[in-house]
Amino acid sequence: MFFDFHHRYNRFLQANLWLFPIALGIVVCGCSSEKIEFRGNQLHAASLSMELTPLEIRRLADRAKDATELLLGTADLPTWPATVLPPLDMEKVVRSSGPVGRDKSKVESGLFRKHCVQCHGISGDGRGPAAALLAPYPRDFRRGSFKFKSTPLGKKPTHSDIVRTLEKGLPGTAMPAFGTLNDSEEFANDVDALAHYVRFLAIRGEVERRLLVALSEQEIDESASLEILTRVANDWLAAESHSVKRPEWVANQTEYGRLESVANGKALFESELTACVKCHGAAGSGNGTSQDFDDWTKDWTIRAGIDPANKTEWKSMKKYGALKPIIDRPRNLKLGALRGGTSREDIYLRLVLGIEGSPMLAVAKKENGNPGLTDDDIRDLVEYVYSLSEGARNNSSKQEFDHAASE
Amino acid sequence: MLQVNKDSSRWVYRWAMLVTLLTFPLIWLGGLVTTHDAGMAVPDWPGTFGYNLFLYPWSAWLYGPFDLFVEHGHRLLASLVGLLAICLCVVAYRNEKRIWVRNLCFGFLAAIISQGVLGGVRVLLDARTAAMIHGCTGPLVFALGSFIVMACSTDWRRATQNAYAKPVSRGLQIISYLLVPMSIVQLFVGAHLRHAQPTWLPPFFTSIVHTHLLMATLITLSIFGILVLVRADHNRRVLELRPPANLLLLIVVAQVALGLATWIANYATPWVELTPWLAKYTVQGKGFWESMIVTGHQATGSLLIVFSLWMVCRVATRTNQAENAQPMINDTSVQQENSTELVAVGGGIV
Repeated sequence: MFFDFHHRYNRFLQANLWLFPIALGIVVCGCSSEKIEFRGNQLHAASLSMELTPLEIRRLADRAKDATELLLGTADLPTWPATVLPPLDMEKVVRSSGPVGRDKSKVESGLFRKHCVQCHGISGDGRGPAAALLAPYPRDFRRGSFKFKSTPLGKKPTHSDIVRTLEKGLPGTAMPAFGTLNDSEEFANDVDALAHYVRFLAIRGEVERRLLVALSEQEIDESASLEILTRVANDWLAAESHSVKRPEWVANQTEYGRLESVANGKALFESELTACVKCHGAAGSGNGTSQDFDDWTKDWTIRAGIDPANKTEWKSMKKYGALKPIIDRPRNLKLGALRGGTSREDIYLRLVLGIEGSPMLAVAKKENGNPGLTDDDIRDLVEYVYSLSEGARNNSSKQEFDHAASE
Repeated sequence: MLQVNKDSSRWVYRWAMLVTLLTFPLIWLGGLVTTHDAGMAVPDWPGTFGYNLFLYPWSAWLYGPFDLFVEHGHRLLASLVGLLAICLCVVAYRNEKRIWVRNLCFGFLAAIISQGVLGGVRVLLDARTAAMIHGCTGPLVFALGSFIVMACSTDWRRATQNAYAKPVSRGLQIISYLLVPMSIVQLFVGAHLRHAQPTWLPPFFTSIVHTHLLMATLITLSIFGILVLVRADHNRRVLELRPPANLLLLIVVAQVALGLATWIANYATPWVELTPWLAKYTVQGKGFWESMIVTGHQATGSLLIVFSLWMVCRVATRTNQAENAQPMINDTSVQQENSTELVAVGGGIV
């Protein structure tokens, strides 16, 4: 077949060379039309009322998006109104936004699109291109809720909480650890800048949600929009003041606790008072009987009158960006991989603060005559959970520790 | 009959080999540019931060930010490849008697220049779609260079001058011919995953992933089919078919492993509770090994195209049926002669 190849090849060249500039032209025209902007929150608009038509839902979402854009700018150029005290460093926010690249002064910008957009999406809605294939789904920032933080349920996370998650990542999930960026001089400020942008997206998303609710009832003017932004921003400004104090003993990373402490912790773990076994199972393997969804799923299912377990029902929300509801499975504590961290401090925070948006609640404290755990009980419970994790198993007293835990 | 034809140019072969060998690290560097999202690390083109490309201070390049190092390095190497391709054209024009091979060399140069222009379009318009097309066509240029090497090889000349009483079986021909377009399609699909646009919706990306997996399965099965067929009764005496088939097996095994590793390096694994190691595994954002794995998967994809093309060349040049049933060349003697000739022309994959 190759004997006459050169004839065919020459014919092909003569016949098709003119295609090349046309193809290049198509590429140039096609590429120059790329426009990246925030997406409207259609899913929340749809969950507000089941009576709205798809067209009305899209219009409502677009109106809220436009109103938010007037306040906080675009995906390429975020802004902040001068009349509202910002809980963020807007210079870092602007640096993290927009397309990836360096300007003439070699300062890199577009950090969010470089590191995060593939999963979290351009609006921080947790609907990036890869989102549907991940378990758990990437976090939707727009509710302003974050799981692993040092503030009580319902309060915003501190800046350091977000930085911590960015630096350490979440083991067993697609959330990477960006801590190594700090090792390099050129990227040393990237994590901090990203944390500011993540908080910006959370504020933007929450403002948009509130505007959606307001716009679904009546038209609102700019001052009302500013009022909404101020309230959200104040919540974030107050975050640091809500950060809980950690007892001194949580800083102990190497020595295991008192053996009797572990035994008491085990008893508490299995007690009705804490109800840990209901979700985590008697052995802490995450095989309890509870089957629940997280708040991000309940937001557009149960609260909108949709059964997340009913495929026909939840599928009606797919066109607005909903992903298949998945059960928020309790953690297997014995794998040595707790997503919020395996240190005593991390475990303490999860126990006394719960995990925002998940079925994991804070333990009840014994206060004002109400039944609950004392400070010593909490320490014992932390010791027991810590004993199940890899950190404790690595220390020299492993056998003693395991023995105490098994009794 | 088995001697190398006098009109052949070993110099064309050598230059083509040199340029093609340099194209592979160029693909690696291009892959690193994508992995580190360094396409816009240098905001101007064809210059670098206002400097002429070749006059940009080397200390600023080597000791500057990593993404700048990768992007500027990619441009420098591409320029070198372009210059060497010009030399190849001159050598081919002066020495190569086959017009279609000469034209191939000129086409190769045009393709390299077009790649450069496309890279420039990507920078000047900050267009990720152009980056994706640039990433897709790069391996095709590599394949074109490899094809010139194959066309100038001793094996090609010898094989096309012979007539085979018993040509390569039809089944092997079909699978080999199909493997090339399948590899190219797979490369295009993979490029879509690498260059996913932020505005894409999850179902679209998911469908691309599924297509990529389906194509991977088809390609793997095809390569296993080739491996079986080159050892089947009809073809087993044509020993020249085995090296590309064996290398294809090696490549596909590596590629499947790298593909899995790429997913884990990017998104971890969904089966975290299988072992404590998986549960504890934390994806490292822009980690060194993660970058190498992801880039390696892409670069190996281009090798898959080249080796499948090699397989096609070996098959295609052995399909001319002898009309008068001339005696088939003694395979053992061919093999011995091949070895001698390959050494004589300086060795090489073909």
